[in-house]
Amino acid sequence: MKLLPKKEHQYIGARMNFIELNLIESARRGDSHGLNRLFSQHQRYIFNLMLQLTGDVALADDLTQETFLMAFRKLHSFRCQASFRTWLSRIAINLFRLEFRRKTKHYSLCLEKITVPSHQDNPERVVIKSELQWCILHNLQQHLPNKYREVLVLRDLHHLSYKEISEILGWSVSKTKTCLHRARQMFRQQFVNNKCKAFADDYLCICEGMLEL
Amino acid sequence: MHLRGDVRIMNCEEARALFSEFYDGELNQEIAQAVKEHLADCQECREEYKNLKKSLKILSKLKILEAPRNYVSFN
Repeated sequence: MKLLPKKEHQYIGARMNFIELNLIESARRGDSHGLNRLFSQHQRYIFNLMLQLTGDVALADDLTQETFLMAFRKLHSFRCQASFRTWLSRIAINLFRLEFRRKTKHYSLCLEKITVPSHQDNPERVVIKSELQWCILHNLQQHLPNKYREVLVLRDLHHLSYKEISEILGWSVSKTKTCLHRARQMFRQQFVNNKCKAFADDYLCICEGMLEL
Repeated sequence: MHLRGDVRIMNCEEARALFSEFYDGELNQEIAQAVKEHLADCQECREEYKNLKKSLKILSKLKILEAPRNYVSFN
């Protein structure tokens, strides 16, 4: 077991809270409570990040599992200089990039896989919502290069700061800003090119134009 | 970008290059004000910025899902 050296505590700063630090120390000792708590606190975030990047539920599922297995194997090397979530995100993004390099296959999107059930909605509304989900994921997957997708998802879906994003992606803050700008332009342009009705009036449409692609 | 009195004047290209940071509220007050002034004067850029905001609003509709399974057990 390895406790954090005193010096490292000086770098932790406000982003690493005391409770999380204790959980990490406990997980490093191999304590299942610490491991399970860290896992349950971050698994939803990592799964969604991977789903938004890959557009594939099964693959996102696998990458989430791999992320946690690798993170817990490498926990001793976590220096607490970034938040645990930032560190975990970096592992997940690296696994995503590796997966993409390894397989050049096209991941198909399946509407049923991303249906969002809701007890309050009637069936027609559920279908419309699912189509919208498909539409957004399709735009992300098919029209944005990986680096633009990564920055857009981290900023506009997970609301991370420029600094956090640059730490996760291994970029300068300046590169993060430039890529985010281009990613947003590209994302917007697809809706414009496909004549999404949302751009013709104030109504948020279900993007029939996109569905015809 | 040039000065008209005390106000900085931007052209379309300069303003559009700053839309992303303007949207995030990351510009300093003076530059943000110059973007605002440009948007007030230029209908094309206003349209362009409105479309950017709409597309990001659509993106925000992507739901956060529950992970489908409990992956690993550490007991």
